[in-house]
Amino acid sequence: MLSYNASNGAKNLLHSFRSVKFPNTFRSFNYSTNTNKINKASDLESPEELTLKSHLKSKPIDYTNNAPVNPKKQRPLLSDSKYESKLYQLPKWKEALGEIVIKGFNLDMDKVRAGPVAGSYYYAMCKEQGLQFENEPLSPTAKFFYEDLKLPRTFSQWFQVTILHEWILFVRMRAMPFKYGKNYQQKLVDRTFTDIELRLFDEMNVNSSRIADQYLKDFNSQLRGAVFAYDEGFFTDDSTLAAAIWRNLFGGRKNVDMVHLEAMVRYVRAQLYVLSKMSDREFAMGGFKFVPPDETVHQLSAQQEEDMKKAVVEKYEAMDKRTDLLPSERSKLSYEN
Amino acid sequence: MSAVIREAASQLVKSLEKLPQERVKHIVSLKESQLERFKAVAGLETNTQDAKQRPSMQDIKDIINRTSGPLGMQKEAMAKVNSMLPQEHYSVEALQEQTHAVNDLLNNKYKNYYSVGDKLMKPQGNPEYYQRLMDEIEGKQKETFWSAMRTVVFGK
Repeated sequence: MLSYNASNGAKNLLHSFRSVKFPNTFRSFNYSTNTNKINKASDLESPEELTLKSHLKSKPIDYTNNAPVNPKKQRPLLSDSKYESKLYQLPKWKEALGEIVIKGFNLDMDKVRAGPVAGSYYYAMCKEQGLQFENEPLSPTAKFFYEDLKLPRTFSQWFQVTILHEWILFVRMRAMPFKYGKNYQQKLVDRTFTDIELRLFDEMNVNSSRIADQYLKDFNSQLRGAVFAYDEGFFTDDSTLAAAIWRNLFGGRKNVDMVHLEAMVRYVRAQLYVLSKMSDREFAMGGFKFVPPDETVHQLSAQQEEDMKKAVVEKYEAMDKRTDLLPSERSKLSYEN
Repeated sequence: MSAVIREAASQLVKSLEKLPQERVKHIVSLKESQLERFKAVAGLETNTQDAKQRPSMQDIKDIINRTSGPLGMQKEAMAKVNSMLPQEHYSVEALQEQTHAVNDLLNNKYKNYYSVGDKLMKPQGNPEYYQRLMDEIEGKQKETFWSAMRTVVFGK
């Protein structure tokens, strides 16, 4: 629904909020931001372009004793479980049994959904952003973090990138009804630490569980500190948010490029803007994707916003009215906010 | 260093000085560290006590380059240290960009442009969340034992 303009005007990349389950019905509503005069006037470049524009060529201090992430065997993105593989199809009888259980026990699907959506889908998304291995090419987003922003390619830096994205999701989760939002946050954090523990053993060659525990405690306090600092920055002003990003993501290094910091503030605020325009239902169903750093988010005009809301309301109203809607697809979350 | 660069750097220092003081003391401060960094470029006095006591980057470079084998270090170790020391060359353009970036941050450019409204600022699930956090940081309204226990038990 919200559309972003790809930096190069040649290919007018139109993104819409993608709903995981119903991509086809949803894709049809796209709005080009080009038609909006206000959007054109603002003349914003994407965070990546802004970063590359900087003429300050200072290099970060190169700590050559960095432990590279170079595992002998790589863990799958989520887990070895077949239920989390994309190719796996649940047998029909199991599916039917599941629906009967949900209906029979009148399970609260909004609560159940927290696991697969926040714990699996959203966690994988946060993890992917900064994922890097020593001898492998970087993904475009990872290129932005490690090459453009010149962050060190280490495991703890990956953790910082991940928790920044998780915090962005936390902010939206707080705006869900308390019971559900809290559950989504809990599932995301639980999954993060389970995964880190496994990665430490499998990929970072940590052999002792005592040392792994120390690392986990350290990561836990980093997470708390980062969430606190980002919250403060989010609520107060851009310079506080920039300082929080500098302390956490940039590790407080002295020779930082202020243009890079500005680009990161833009990146974070843009993601939050997209999230603020999303209804609880869409977000809880896993309809959110991070805007890649090479794309610009433009402000929506009142008209665009209204159209977008109308389309969402129509879609979910029609869905809730369907009589053949499966018990597992039901949700009581609002689609109007 | 030429006068133009010094002028650009002092503009940057002026902007940096407008950055707000941190509400909570951290080990490092963006404002202090950047002031220290760019005041040297602008040729201004760094007035932090800390900066006076510690050797500057220039001092360290001097010590390393003064003799052929300073501090009893081997040639390779020397080369390693030298490559690790940040080499910073500032141009007027780069410094002006820095100033511009700092000013954008000071003007809350992105907070205003990407305004999220009360939906995220006063989140439905926990409307007092940010206000309580700020009150605690600024010492306006401290959490009492019972309000803290309530948060532990009920989560908000």
